[in-house]
Amino acid sequence: MLGSVRGPVIKIEGLGVRYGNFWAVRDASVTLEPGVIHAIIGENGAGKSTLLKAAAGFVPIVTGNVRVEGDANASTIGMVHQHFMLVSAFTALENLVLGAEPTQSFGRLDLARARTRANELMKQSGLSVNLDATTRDMAVGERQRLEILRVLFRGARAVLLDEPTAVLSPIEAEELYATLARLAKEGATIAVVTHHLDEVIRFAHHVTVMRRGRTVASRSIDRTQSAALEDELTRAIMGGEPPAPTKAPSLPDKPSEALTIDNLVLVDGSGKRVLDGVRLSVKAGEIVGVAGIEGNGQRELGRAVAGLEPNVTGTIALGGKPFEPVRSMDDMRARRRALAVVHEDRHADGLMLQASVGDNLVLGELGELSSTMDEKNAVVRRIDHFGIFPADAERAAGSLSGGNQQKIVMARALDRIEASAARAAVVLGQPTRGVDVGAAAVIHRAIVSAAERGLGVLVISADLGELKRLSHRIVVLSGGRIVAELPPDSPDDVIGRAMLGMEAA
Amino acid sequence: MSSIVSLTMLAESVRIAVPYTCAAIAGVWAERSGVIQIGLEGILLAGAFSSVAVAHATGSASLGLVAAIAAGIAVSLGHGLLTEKARIHAVISGIAINLLALASTRMGLRALYDSSSNSPSIDGFRLGPTGATGLSMLLRVLVDPVFVCAVIAVVATPFVMQNTRFGLRVRAAGENPVAASSVGIGITQIRLAALSVSGAICALGGAHLAYDQHRFESGMSAGRGFIALAAVVVGGWRASFAAAACLVFGALEALQIALQDQARRSMVGDLIQALPYVATLFVLAFAKRRSGAPEGLGKHATE
Amino acid sequence: MKSAHDIRAALPIVLAIAGGVLLFDLMAFGFGQAPASALRMAFDGTWGTAYGIGQVLFKATPLLFTGLAFEVALRAGLFNIGAEGQLALASLVGAVVASKLPPSLPAVVALPIVLCVAAATGAAVAFVPAILRVRRGVHEIITAIMVNRIVDAILPWALATVLGSTSLRTADIAPGAALPRLERVFPALTGSAASFAFPLAVVSVFVVIELLRRSRVGREIRWVGLRAEACRAEGIAVEQRLLLAMLLSGAVAALAVSSTALGYKGYYELGLGAGAGWSGIAVAMLGRGSAMGIVLAAVFLGTLEQAGLAVNARVPKEAMDVLEAALIVLVAVATRAAAKEEAANKRDDEPFEEKPARAAATEEVAR
Repeated sequence: MLGSVRGPVIKIEGLGVRYGNFWAVRDASVTLEPGVIHAIIGENGAGKSTLLKAAAGFVPIVTGNVRVEGDANASTIGMVHQHFMLVSAFTALENLVLGAEPTQSFGRLDLARARTRANELMKQSGLSVNLDATTRDMAVGERQRLEILRVLFRGARAVLLDEPTAVLSPIEAEELYATLARLAKEGATIAVVTHHLDEVIRFAHHVTVMRRGRTVASRSIDRTQSAALEDELTRAIMGGEPPAPTKAPSLPDKPSEALTIDNLVLVDGSGKRVLDGVRLSVKAGEIVGVAGIEGNGQRELGRAVAGLEPNVTGTIALGGKPFEPVRSMDDMRARRRALAVVHEDRHADGLMLQASVGDNLVLGELGELSSTMDEKNAVVRRIDHFGIFPADAERAAGSLSGGNQQKIVMARALDRIEASAARAAVVLGQPTRGVDVGAAAVIHRAIVSAAERGLGVLVISADLGELKRLSHRIVVLSGGRIVAELPPDSPDDVIGRAMLGMEAA
Repeated sequence: MSSIVSLTMLAESVRIAVPYTCAAIAGVWAERSGVIQIGLEGILLAGAFSSVAVAHATGSASLGLVAAIAAGIAVSLGHGLLTEKARIHAVISGIAINLLALASTRMGLRALYDSSSNSPSIDGFRLGPTGATGLSMLLRVLVDPVFVCAVIAVVATPFVMQNTRFGLRVRAAGENPVAASSVGIGITQIRLAALSVSGAICALGGAHLAYDQHRFESGMSAGRGFIALAAVVVGGWRASFAAAACLVFGALEALQIALQDQARRSMVGDLIQALPYVATLFVLAFAKRRSGAPEGLGKHATE
Repeated sequence: MKSAHDIRAALPIVLAIAGGVLLFDLMAFGFGQAPASALRMAFDGTWGTAYGIGQVLFKATPLLFTGLAFEVALRAGLFNIGAEGQLALASLVGAVVASKLPPSLPAVVALPIVLCVAAATGAAVAFVPAILRVRRGVHEIITAIMVNRIVDAILPWALATVLGSTSLRTADIAPGAALPRLERVFPALTGSAASFAFPLAVVSVFVVIELLRRSRVGREIRWVGLRAEACRAEGIAVEQRLLLAMLLSGAVAALAVSSTALGYKGYYELGLGAGAGWSGIAVAMLGRGSAMGIVLAAVFLGTLEQAGLAVNARVPKEAMDVLEAALIVLVAVATRAAAKEEAANKRDDEPFEEKPARAAATEEVAR
């Protein structure tokens, strides 16, 4: 199975993938060879995921072709998707065999045989998971290992991974790349899509840059020239000079308290303390970044501060005034006068995709806008200030790009709070996730601008680079509590260790 | 008045519970594969009518069962095609099925038997002892072919779901169709297969209902399909629990019938007939918050 | 290009209706009738005579209310299939109250009283599935059916045991509560049961749909139906809006009493108005959410029902019920196909790429 057969050469030639009139991938060519880790890099929306999915056969190809050359029985291409394709209710073993189940007579599952094969595979590849654990209880890193194992279980000698490190801490990312290097050494064909340049330079052997659906550069990595390489790759990714990075503004002299959280505790339905005594404070005009791997309480923190978790205990003060947990619509209204929250999942909690851009921009404000004219003005102002494109208030929000969708929720939150006399703070969850560089720049400028105007800003993000650029201070959220407070120029591995520090709680 | 706890009551409870159980197991199969199925009511009617029509025409109760199975599969597949291929909302499709079945069977009564309410009578299965004692009644219920099928269904369903490749794939389609599709499982095919099983079992329940009354009556399903759905919810989408809920419901209905004479003499009168439904509402209201619904229920693999 | 859009919106309905006519022809043929003569008979009995038109309007009236009711709940993402029970109990209570009013009470006072009582009853019946859905997460379809069955048991008991009626009907309503027949104003319609309940219903449809579109409550109900979680996150009282939608739905369905008891019989009897709840679903599906659509759909389905009676001697009226149910499916399929087509076309004509200069233009973020 493993190690005996060399992986295939995957030749992608002149590939084109289209959604309607939008070319996600246009005239892209790249050759993936066995024995190396080939990184495909580009900013959000460049077409990298689509390219990979086309190579693995998940999306239809409009032009060009994908040729797989090599050993006949080594032609299976396995893909590890960005959002795991696992059934949470199944055990790891069930997920492992799904779609390729060994059977006995009458279609009965032969889990014993599957288990033997799985154990062998785990030993050979060095990846281990608890086969009998229920997938929803497994940690993210273990689930990813399961995904990779599943691909290998089917005999795939080519493994394509889509943004695998998005959900990992820096240390887990290193472990992943170590595994991939091992597989590559044994002859597998490995391709990784990522938008993290530092990973590419540290771990990959070969890199291809994509921009706006095309492959614009491809070369092997010479780690000795990493500075020059980084520069060159950045230019290729951006297609020119990158926008000037936004910097944190200077702090006011005697800043007042904007947002103070003390001993916030939230216990979920199964008894787990998803928020375990969080305490942090943000001063007016300050940008505090909350770093952490997903699943450590970020979403709950945002919801608790917004007043959406009635069972939360602890104190939350805005502008120095304590706020009781929300028990009525009046409480909610009072809180929203002082605080704006942009939740991390714009598709789940932020937008009504089938409603118009205009409706989305005023969601929740109909009680405060006193006339239709007021509403129209607010909509036009928000579209204009944030450059929401297309600038059409009647368009369905779901038809906009990710970056523009994010601009809607940002515009809504920031513009609304701006008009409130009692404003104190803004909490932003993953503000540039899945957002292209242009939109991200707009959003970052808006964040800085909000701080400059006296709001306390809390940015919760898995993007360490973003936090380091924007924040005055970084705190690390792990296991539902703040475990460290660090200056933004701290080295990555220091922050990374803090992220993992208390995880075994 | 015979005592409430007796073989007669048990026999009645089981007999009444059979169509509910068949519909509930059918609901489990459909919904575990991810398809919302509120059309069980219509499938019961389709099964009842086709079994009577064929039994009447051929004189064979067994052929009637075959006809019922065919009708159930056909209607169920129709629902599946509408929801999977035409992407109609499953609730709308279910409502349409119920209305269509009600109207079609009425039209069928008119067309075949020139009646607007009943079919001519049929024998059904006349098996088992012919006594009037509780024990004879019970035995008659137990040897009924549909009862036997129902028991097999209740036992076989969890086994198939947990231990076979088909069952694993059905569950995967119901929990996470996107993930299942990504590993190469045809979601539409699996769901249609599960729906076929669902339709067959439900229609058998309809046949039992008709054979019990020895004829088809317009609208005879009388809401059983929805009560079966309640049983599925209360039973956490597990066949054994849903069947247990149906048995309890059967007992309640048997109780209500037994108390009818008494009730008529008092102020309560025919209001007693609301008893089983009120009880169902209470159980639904106070049972543990919806747990066990397949996560992918109502979702598709693409778009 | 609003008119082109309207045509495109109407196309699926037209296709579905064409499919319906085809189905009718098939059924007529199945019953040994020449389709053309059956169609002729259907037409004569409905739009062919003034009496027929009157009957069509009469049959359409309760459908206007129940169709509107289903639509209102649907906006919030809820399926109100309890309209049968809601309108039945509301009709009983409304008729009883109407019969107890002093005979000299003028219509200006009596009618609103009766309608309000009926609406309140309808809302109360809808409250049960509503509260169970909002508080306990129980699917409103199952509970609505349970409530329908309970109402089914309550009605005969109430009529026989509580009111002591031997013929299962209420006493006659006070004259002030009665709605006059349309034949008073349009003598051509003499003999038909169409009453002023029809214009009342049409006005209600337009008013309620407009309220749903423009008012804050209406817009929030729709937004909750589109994405409740986003609404909750932005401070909208989701549970309250859901409850409100269901209660409003029940109240609207209840107003069908105006057509049956108040405008036609002059009392309530067991079974009066039955079936309107289910047909209302078809009306809402055909009406596609617009006021005009609902009115046209109700009139269309009223035509079907009346046509059923007209051809009953040749083709059983049950065939019309089959047609109605089939139409729900046909319209749903046709609309879906049209929507897919439109989405594909839209993607083809609109450019997706944004100009990079946009980012620079927003230097102005700081005011």
